Amino acid sequence: MEGAADSDTPVPERSAADRAAALARLLHRDCTRLLELYKEREDFLSQHAPGGERLVTLALCPEAPSTAEQVGHVRSALRRCMELLECLIVREVEEMGEELQGEYESLRKTVKDRLGHLLHSTGALLENGEGGCPPSPPMQCIQGQDEVEASDSFAAKIWTYKVLLELIHWTDSASQTLHVFHTEKHGQQQQQQLL
Amino acid sequence: MQGWVTLALLLSLGVECSLGQNGVGELPVPRGLTLNPDLPAQTLSLTWQSDSSLFDLEIFHTELMNVVLNETVAVKTDPVTGLHSWTWHSPLPLECTSHSAHIRARNQQSVSQWSPLQTIPGSDIPEKSESNMFPQDKVVPVGSNMTFCCIVKEKEDFKEIMYGRQEMTATRLSRRTYAITATNQPVSGNTGTNVICCSQRLTLTGAVVFVGYPPGDEGLVCETRDLASAECSWKKGRDTGLRMRRSRTKYTLNGRDCLEANERKRWWCSSKAWEQSWTLVARNPLGTVHLMDSAQLTDRVHLLAPVNVTAVEVKAWSATLQWSWSVAAYKKLEMVCQLQLFAHELNSTRNYSGPGLSSVVLESLWPDVDYTVTLYCGSKHGFWKWGDKSAPYRIHTKMDRPDALDVWMWMDSSNTGCVFWKPLSVRKSHGALVGYEVSQSSAEEDGWTPVSLPPGNFSYPIILNNGSDITVAVAARNPAGLSQPSTVTTPAYRADSQLSMSELLSTNGSFVLSWQPNANASSGYAVEWVPTGCSGLCPVDWKKVPESDSSFTLNSDSLVAGVRYTVSVYALSTGAPTLLQRWQGYSQEMTPSQSVRELLPNQSGSDVLLSWKATAMENQRGFIRGYTIYLANAAHLELIANISDPEVQSYRVKGLSLSSYKFVVKAYTSAGEDAGATVAIKMEMDTADMLFVGILVPLGIMFCCLILISICCYKKREWVKKAFYPEIPGPKVPGDWSSPQGPLDVKPSPHSLVHIVESPEWDFTKEGLFPVPEEEEESENDNIEVDADSDEPALLRYYNQVVGDGSHGNQVSDSSGSSNTSVDSTQTEITYAGIQSPTSSQGACGGGGYRPQMQSVIGPAEPQIEFEADFQDDGLHAGYKPQCSWQLDSPEAENFSGSLGSPTSVTSSQFLIPESSEEKPQPSNTWFHNFLSGKS
Repeated sequence: MEGAADSDTPVPERSAADRAAALARLLHRDCTRLLELYKEREDFLSQHAPGGERLVTLALCPEAPSTAEQVGHVRSALRRCMELLECLIVREVEEMGEELQGEYESLRKTVKDRLGHLLHSTGALLENGEGGCPPSPPMQCIQGQDEVEASDSFAAKIWTYKVLLELIHWTDSASQTLHVFHTEKHGQQQQQQLL
Repeated sequence: MQGWVTLALLLSLGVECSLGQNGVGELPVPRGLTLNPDLPAQTLSLTWQSDSSLFDLEIFHTELMNVVLNETVAVKTDPVTGLHSWTWHSPLPLECTSHSAHIRARNQQSVSQWSPLQTIPGSDIPEKSESNMFPQDKVVPVGSNMTFCCIVKEKEDFKEIMYGRQEMTATRLSRRTYAITATNQPVSGNTGTNVICCSQRLTLTGAVVFVGYPPGDEGLVCETRDLASAECSWKKGRDTGLRMRRSRTKYTLNGRDCLEANERKRWWCSSKAWEQSWTLVARNPLGTVHLMDSAQLTDRVHLLAPVNVTAVEVKAWSATLQWSWSVAAYKKLEMVCQLQLFAHELNSTRNYSGPGLSSVVLESLWPDVDYTVTLYCGSKHGFWKWGDKSAPYRIHTKMDRPDALDVWMWMDSSNTGCVFWKPLSVRKSHGALVGYEVSQSSAEEDGWTPVSLPPGNFSYPIILNNGSDITVAVAARNPAGLSQPSTVTTPAYRADSQLSMSELLSTNGSFVLSWQPNANASSGYAVEWVPTGCSGLCPVDWKKVPESDSSFTLNSDSLVAGVRYTVSVYALSTGAPTLLQRWQGYSQEMTPSQSVRELLPNQSGSDVLLSWKATAMENQRGFIRGYTIYLANAAHLELIANISDPEVQSYRVKGLSLSSYKFVVKAYTSAGEDAGATVAIKMEMDTADMLFVGILVPLGIMFCCLILISICCYKKREWVKKAFYPEIPGPKVPGDWSSPQGPLDVKPSPHSLVHIVESPEWDFTKEGLFPVPEEEEESENDNIEVDADSDEPALLRYYNQVVGDGSHGNQVSDSSGSSNTSVDSTQTEITYAGIQSPTSSQGACGGGGYRPQMQSVIGPAEPQIEFEADFQDDGLHAGYKPQCSWQLDSPEAENFSGSLGSPTSVTSSQFLIPESSEEKPQPSNTWFHNFLSGKS
C-alpha cells in the first residue's frame, strides 16, 4: 500500500512529511512562546521551577525500532498532549471566563488548532498503522483535575505549567522524528528510482 | 463528749480552711474534653462536662509545646446538651501543625487539676510526608493580615516563603512547619496572589490567595419597556478585583438569580412581571450589598423607538409624518412625542401629544429644503424619560414661487443708471432660481418690454432716452413659477456737486442717520450708500426703511474702512424716489495710502517754496485734515510746519544757508500721517557771490600767507641761516691749490673697490663698506644716506676718505670730468656726492692736492689691509688738513666749502649741487643764497 502510494504520488507524500515536520517546528515555537506568556502571568515559575512527575510518558510503550513507529509513538504522546490542552482550556475558561482575551489566550487557541493539524498530518503519514504503542486511554478532563493532585488553584497552575512543558517537549520530539522520517523516505525513494 | 465534738468541728474547719487556701483537689476536673476543628474557618471548638462555670484553657502547638492560648473563660452549661462549649479562632490554619488543649475548672482562687491533653493532628505528622501549604484559595479583603504555613516534605530542606515577589521572614512552628504573616495585603491580580514555599532547589508547594473588595454596586433602577415586564439596572461600582469564578459577585433580583449579570454581560436584570418593589442582592465571598427600588409601572415607562417612520404627504410648506409602535400596549398610552428637524440653518424641535401617537402634521416647513427627522416619545402621565430615538428620516419639501425681490435703481448720470436687486436667500427663493425677468415701461411707450436674465445677474443698466422717468419691474423665476414683480421708478439724478453735503461721522464704524420725516414717503424711505466718486460697476447698496422710521443705522459690516461713502436718503412713493438728504463719510478713517503728489521745491534766494498736490481720493482713506512739513536730518525728521488747512498746498521755508536739504511733506487724516513724500534741494548762491567766494577769497588768503611767511623769514633770517645754512670754516691748505692742474683722465677700474674703515674700534655693525658690484650700489646708497644724516665722525671720515681717495684715484678724475661718468662708474652715491664737490674745483683738488691720502693709495686693486693702514695713518698724522685746502682756490670751491662742511651736505646733494650745477654753477649763490645770508 505504501509502496503503491510512493510509486503513484511520491512527491506529495514526501512533501507531506516535510510539511508535518515544518508544522511541528512551528508548533514547538508557539508552545515555547506560550510558556513564556504563562510565566509572565505566574512569575514564580521563572524563579523556582516546580518539580514533580511527567504528565506524558511512553514508559509503557515498547521499543520503537523503526522511524515510522517512532512517529507513531510521538503521535500518541501528542494526542495525550491535545487532551491535556483541551482540558486546560476548559478549566481556564471556566475559572476566568472569556473576558480575558490577551496574547496568551490567543496563542493558546492557535496552539490547539495547529496541534490538531499536526495530529491529522501525522495520522495521514501512518496510514498503514505504524506505531506500536497503543494510544493512551482517553483522558477525561475531570481526570486531568485528578492529576493535579488537588483542586486548589496553586496546583492547577503547576499542572498547567507541566502541560505546557509536555507540549514543548513532544512538539520538539515530533519535529525531530518527522524530519528523520522525511529524510529516510526521501532516501528510499531515491534508491527506488535508481533501481 | 462535748469536748470531742468541739475538737472534731475545729479540725474539720481547719481542714477546710487549709484546703481552701491551697485550692487543689477540691474542684472536680472537667471531664470529656473533645476538640472539634473547623479547618476552613480555622476554628477549634472545645466541649467538656463540668459543674463549674469558670475554666482555665491552654492550647499548645503540640510538637514544640508552644503555648498559643492561655485564657480563663466563663462558660455556662448548655441546658440542652449539658455540655460546656467554647470556640477558639486560630490565626494559623489548624492543618499547619498539631494542636493540643487541656482545661481546668476555676472557682475564684481555687482551681482543679488540668484535664488530660487532647490533640488534633496537623498535616506535619510523619504519616503525611508530602509538602503542603495552608490555607489554600482563601478570599480575603484588601488590607487584611493573613498567616500562611508551609509543611516541608520529609527529608527536604527549607529555604524561604515568597509572598508574590516578596521574600518573607518565616517562623518555625514544628519540625517541618514554617509560617509567615502577610500584613495589609494589596489587591490581587487576575489569577490571585501566589505564596510559594521553596527549598534550595525547587518549588516545594504553594498557595493562592485572592485579595479583593466586597461588592460596590449601587443605584438600582427598574423600568418597563412594554408596559408589563421590568428591567432593572444599576451601576457596577468599584471593581472587586476578584475575577475567578468562585469569587465573582453573584446577583439575585427579588430572590431570583440574575442570569444576565452573573454572566457578566451587562449590569441589568429582567423580570417578566412588574412588581411594586425590587431588591437586588450582590454577593461575593467578602460581602453582600442590598439595593432597593420601588415604583408604579406607569411612572417608569421607557418607550421603545418608533418604527416605520414615513412621510405620507409632503408639500412645500408642510408634511405629514407617520410611524408605528412595536408594542401594541402603546396604542392606548397617553404619550408625548418630540420631533427634531435638522436642516441647514433651519433646525427646530417640535412637541406633539396624544394617545398612542402615530401621526403628526409638520407645519411651517420651508419649500425646497432637506429635513432630517428624528422622533422619540415618552409617557405623558408620570413622565419618566424620553424613549429611544427613531432612525433618522429624510424629508424634502416641494418648491414654491420665489418671494418678491428687493429692487433699487441708481442713477450715475442724468440719463444713465442701473437697476439693482438683491439675491434671494434660501428661505425666499423657495427653490433654485432659474433667472430673472426685467421689464421696463416709460410714459411714451405703452406696455412693458420684458428681458430675461440668467440667475447670476443682479443688475440691469437703463438709459433714459429723453429724460423722462421710466419704471422697471423685476421678478425672479424658479421651477415653481415667477415671483411677484418689484417695481422701481428712476429717481432724479443729483450730482454731488449740486448738493451741499455734510460730513458724516461714524460711531464705532457705523453711520447713524436721521432725517426729517417726509410726507411724501408713503412707501417709506430708502437709504442708499455707494463709494464716493465711483463710476461704472459700483457696489451700490441700499436698505428700505418703513415710513414710520426716520433714522437708520448703517452698520460697519456693510462698509469698508478707509472708503469714502456717499449716503443718500430717498423718500419712496408710488412715483420716483425723491432725494431727501446726502452725506459723505468714512466708517473708519485710515492714514492715506499714498503720499502727496508732485512735491516740488523752488529756490528763491535763501528761501525754498515747497508745493504739492493732494493724493487721489481713493488713496486718502479719510478726510485730509492738513499737512506737516519736515526737514529731514540724518536720523530724524524735524517738524518745521503744520498746515491745518488742507486747501493750502504750498509752504515757503525761509532763511536757508547754502547746503543740501531734504524736505518731507505728509498729509494727515484723523487716523494719522501718511508715509510722506520727500524732496531734496541743494541751495546755490548767486553768480557774483560765487565769483567772490570762489576765487578772490582764496587768492587773498594765499597772498596774505606769503606776505606773512616772507616777513617772518626776514625777521628771523639769522636763525634761518643758522638752521638751514650754517657757516662752515674753510679748510686751510698748505701750498698753492689755486693753480689749475691738468685734468685727470682716469677711467674707473673695472673692479672698483671701496674699502672704508673708520677705525679698528668701530662697531662691527658699522663695519666699513666694501666694494660691491654696481647692482648693489643703490641699496647701499640708501644706507649711506641714512648714516650721513647722523653726525658721527666716522662718516665724516668716510666722506673724506672717499674724497681723498678720489683725489688721487682714477675715479675722482673721471667723475670730476663728468657727473655722468660718476653715475656710470661703480662708485657709490656717496662717492658721487663727494666727488661732485670738487668737480668744479678739480684743478684745486685733483692730482696731488691731497697728498696724505694720495700716498696711501696704491691702486684700485690694493688689498684692503693696506688701505686700512693708510687710512689709519692719515687719521693719526694728517688730521683734517685736506679740507682746509679746499676753500682756497676758485669761487666755486668757496661756494662748496659751505655745503661740504655741513652735515646736510651729504644728504642734500641737490641743495648743494643741483643737477645743473655742472653747467650752471652760479645759481647756487643767487638771490636765495643772498637772502639767507642776509645779503642784499
